[in-house]
Amino acid sequence: MNPREQLLARVQAALAPLPSRAALPDWDRELVRMRSALPAADLWALFAERLQAVNGTPLTSVADLVALLEKNGWKHGYCDPVLWPALSGSFPAGIKVETTYDRTRVDDYAFGITSATGAIAETGTLILSDKDTSYRLGALAPWLHVAVLKRAQILPDITAAVAALPPDPNIIWVTGPSKTADVEGILIEGVHGPGVQVALLLD
Amino acid sequence: MSLQPLDQFARNLAPDTRAAVYDGSKKGHEKRTRVLFDAYTDPNRLREIAGEIKQHVIEHLDTYLPAVEAKLQANGVKVHWAGTADEACAAVRDIMQARGLRKIVKSKTMVSEEIELEHYLDKHGIETLETDLGEFIVQIDHDHPSHIVKPIIHKNRREIARSFEREGLGAYNDDPETITRRARQFLRHKYLAADVALTGANFVSVESGRLVIVTNEGNSRFCLAATKCHIALVGIEKLVPRDRDLGLLLNLLGRSATAQQLTVYTEFISGPKAATQPDGPEEMHVIFVDNGRTDVLASDCREILRCIRCGACLNVCPVYRQASGHAYRSVYPGPVGAVLSPLLAGKKFPELADLPKASSLCGACNEVCPVNIPIPDLLLRLRAKGKAEGAPLASAGTPPMGAWSVLASQPAAWKAALFGGKILNFLPTKLLPIPALRAWENKRTLPAWKGGEFRSWLKNRDIKK
Amino acid sequence: MNLSDRRKPGADKRVQLMATCICDAFYADTARATVEVLEYLGCTIEFPEGQTCCGQPAFNGGDWAASRKVVRHTVRTFAGETPVVVPSGSCAAMLFHGALLEFEHEADLPAVRQLAHRTWELADFIVNGLGVKAWPGRYDGAIAFHRACHTRGTGSSDAASALLGSIAGVKLVPFGEGEQCCGFGGTFSVSFPNVSAGMGTLKLEHIRAAQPDVLVSGDMSCMMHLSGLAEKEGQPIKTQHLAQVLRDALKNGGLI
Repeated sequence: MNPREQLLARVQAALAPLPSRAALPDWDRELVRMRSALPAADLWALFAERLQAVNGTPLTSVADLVALLEKNGWKHGYCDPVLWPALSGSFPAGIKVETTYDRTRVDDYAFGITSATGAIAETGTLILSDKDTSYRLGALAPWLHVAVLKRAQILPDITAAVAALPPDPNIIWVTGPSKTADVEGILIEGVHGPGVQVALLLD
Repeated sequence: MSLQPLDQFARNLAPDTRAAVYDGSKKGHEKRTRVLFDAYTDPNRLREIAGEIKQHVIEHLDTYLPAVEAKLQANGVKVHWAGTADEACAAVRDIMQARGLRKIVKSKTMVSEEIELEHYLDKHGIETLETDLGEFIVQIDHDHPSHIVKPIIHKNRREIARSFEREGLGAYNDDPETITRRARQFLRHKYLAADVALTGANFVSVESGRLVIVTNEGNSRFCLAATKCHIALVGIEKLVPRDRDLGLLLNLLGRSATAQQLTVYTEFISGPKAATQPDGPEEMHVIFVDNGRTDVLASDCREILRCIRCGACLNVCPVYRQASGHAYRSVYPGPVGAVLSPLLAGKKFPELADLPKASSLCGACNEVCPVNIPIPDLLLRLRAKGKAEGAPLASAGTPPMGAWSVLASQPAAWKAALFGGKILNFLPTKLLPIPALRAWENKRTLPAWKGGEFRSWLKNRDIKK
Repeated sequence: MNLSDRRKPGADKRVQLMATCICDAFYADTARATVEVLEYLGCTIEFPEGQTCCGQPAFNGGDWAASRKVVRHTVRTFAGETPVVVPSGSCAAMLFHGALLEFEHEADLPAVRQLAHRTWELADFIVNGLGVKAWPGRYDGAIAFHRACHTRGTGSSDAASALLGSIAGVKLVPFGEGEQCCGFGGTFSVSFPNVSAGMGTLKLEHIRAAQPDVLVSGDMSCMMHLSGLAEKEGQPIKTQHLAQVLRDALKNGGLI
């Protein structure tokens, strides 16, 4: 018997004596509806509020994004070439933007701009996927990540987001900037992933 | 002199360490309580349903394991099976050696600690680098994690700063932000130079074949963005029947572990990278690991396999808070460890037979468990197993019960003992050769013996009537 | 076992009293107070003389054969159909939970179940068995109420808090980390003496910070551990069982 057959045989032997096996329970999505769930009047408003609660940054104009970049001295970054035409007009000459990501120069990129696949309002979560993210590293390695979002992409809650999982091999739910509390329980933002997480609404 | 190793460990624990563990656990528990119970109208029902889902899975692993294998293969994932720790380590080695690969970056997986993967691969010339900040610090210190979610809960910033200086990561600086930035800078270049991403999985959906990995740091994302080959080590009990059940469990996991609605990153991985994606693994392997789990499945404590490794039981456990994780001498500490570790040890159960005794059976662990594991009942079953097998560690320090049970089933003898016990009020009890009595009096006074007084009162009163 | 399935008292309010081994040996007044309180409520009390212990010490220690011997004796001693009332959450839990675990594969499980289905901890019995909503009389003082761990998942601690809080003159004072165990845990207290004492000392700190006049619980085992620790530390605290407080309130109010 090979390892697979041996393992499955042990599983079968372990379960054989059970007089009956536990059934899969039915459960209603109401069970996981949060008490504070607002009626889904304006999903962007709820999303923005929840994003801010996890220290993310909701923005609604390219001008606001440029102001953020200039304020922090983030002058060199990456942008998905599909998105760049809609943004380039608002970027000043002083900010250098590449539309290919060179992983041998990871430290060069202060920011990365890529497309979101969706969002979850209830938790302030951005949804990324391989299909819509031009480079995994471009959305992850720079200090600032900007996920560009359309209003119609926002889902109300976790249950809806699970039901809407696309057939993509790499879906990532991003809920705020990366963080750790490993050192004495003190929260520090910006670990391996971005230290600043922006959701830019551009319909 | 206490005869129980965990009790001795607790006694000898440095006050600093105990304070760090106590404060960290207490904070984790209090935040979880607020976030879980404030959020839902019926959080207890949520836990019960989650428990039933996981119980259903483990009792149907004979059909779910082949089903998830088929789904993973259809998604382009290579599936491997490992019965023992050695087989699991060898499977990793074989994948790498067949491709001439030498460097692994890994995100947190407790299974890799169980099978002692790093040590094995080191002997075969394969380098493994931990990327979770806490695990990275454990690695450079040649230490062991002491909590399943917060591995360095027992360390303070000064110790970490000294370790960083020793490893050439900069002059001594114990500011947590500086420590974190240094790790960020150091590790990102390591990711990019590595060949293989080694991860675990929090859940695997049988319906879609998706692996779910949750982190806050983004280290698993980086492992999977920078390298060309992904190997996932997954305990056979990690399955979940349907994607929608993932939704329920994800509502519970973050809240129970770290009082977050969701961790910062929740990754759903169902295969190697998409064809149009420049970054990421071109091939993906899942190694399903047994390593004693089928023994647990066959036992009368199989409910422990529901565990989703949130750590809430550790945070609330008064014994864990006093003793700290290392007192449990095994990969899994705390209440879950007191059940799982002795069982996973298989034939070596006697070496860990004291762990189920290290509990006052208060039940706080079951109260906070997101999958409603009846831990106190399982501890009791393991105590019975320890006694039945005559494991010395199981009986160390425990008063023998044989004579007691005879006395307590013979009313005449019992009554005689009640009245006769009065002598304890006159004897210096410290001189009595009864270890349990001495252990008691070491820490506490004994109340006055009043044996027989209630019964006399009752009898005289009835006579008067 | 579903606790709401238990046998309620009949019209004659006949009950069997299990005094507990710890009250039999050390806390005679708690057993006395339990009798006085139940009789005030109109109960007719039987005290089966042959009673000894619920079997929990051996059960917790893993010696299930020894424990079953004692439980069988208890089942025989308390034969009958009437509710069995016990002034201890942990002994009650042993009979309606622990015993069912250790008799799972035994032929006489039905007899054990029959006893389980009519076993009540005292406060649970008064409030949920007899339907008493408030307690009469008077008791002046600040009470810190310690909830014994074995009452988790039962109605006992809510019942006890409700009764205590309803007494004229009582001020219930909360204290920190109330959900944490006192550290007794039966034989745990002697096999893990350092951890047990560590847990108890912490609890005493929280209790003292609330400045109660008395520490009250429905379980004398917890009180024996905490008062013993406090006395050894040189800072004794006053402890009473719930039954004693209820009895004293009646006495102070001239009702018994």
